Amino acid sequence: MAERERGERRGKGEGRGFRRRGMGRRKVCRFCADKTMLIDYKDSRVLGTFLSERGKIIPSRITGNCARHQRHLTLAIKRARTVALLPFTAAYP
Amino acid sequence: MADRRYETLVLLHPDLGEPGAKELAERVKKLIEDQGGTVGQMQDWGLRELAYLIAKQRRAFYVLFEYRSSSKALLEIERNLKLMDRVLRFVSVRQAENAPPTPPRPAAARRPEREEPEFEGAAEFEGLNEEVS
Repeated sequence: MAERERGERRGKGEGRGFRRRGMGRRKVCRFCADKTMLIDYKDSRVLGTFLSERGKIIPSRITGNCARHQRHLTLAIKRARTVALLPFTAAYP
Repeated sequence: MADRRYETLVLLHPDLGEPGAKELAERVKKLIEDQGGTVGQMQDWGLRELAYLIAKQRRAFYVLFEYRSSSKALLEIERNLKLMDRVLRFVSVRQAENAPPTPPRPAAARRPEREEPEFEGAAEFEGLNEEVS
């Protein structure tokens, strides 16, 4: 299989290790891989892993989530945000 | 009308203190029951750190209610919750009929832990963020 060019849209990440280990490895949706893993807005630990340091939702292009689970995840994160389980933005001092 | 399975997570004002929060939680439970709901479980998460300030508060008591009620009742419950000024915030979600009940969790206040992003390429994404700000 040809090298996938997905997630290659770096451009701005200049200087950061070009073509790092495992580039081109196929990413698998974590929720499809582990059926017991449920997407729940109350589970801030799991949801938190899909947030960037600034509190933004990491696109599925990077996490490798399938569209269906990314959709559920997004909804769950937004619910978690309304009850302050997750931040809207990075914490301020 | 068919009853549905709902769950509501309520955030109570920290100034209530442990006993005050318990009391208010009971009142919310009664409110649900008065509206014809049957409370399956009431889960007390205790005083938790908020991810951001709400009403100038850093933490709040979290209480989760799982119950069955009609959708009309839910509207009424939510309306009443909005009127309670010691309720900082709440979120109601309809649960699937076959969804397992929420497992109990340690009531101790626990900071939502941040884990390192484990995805390749996540670093670049952060890089992009810096650029934007």
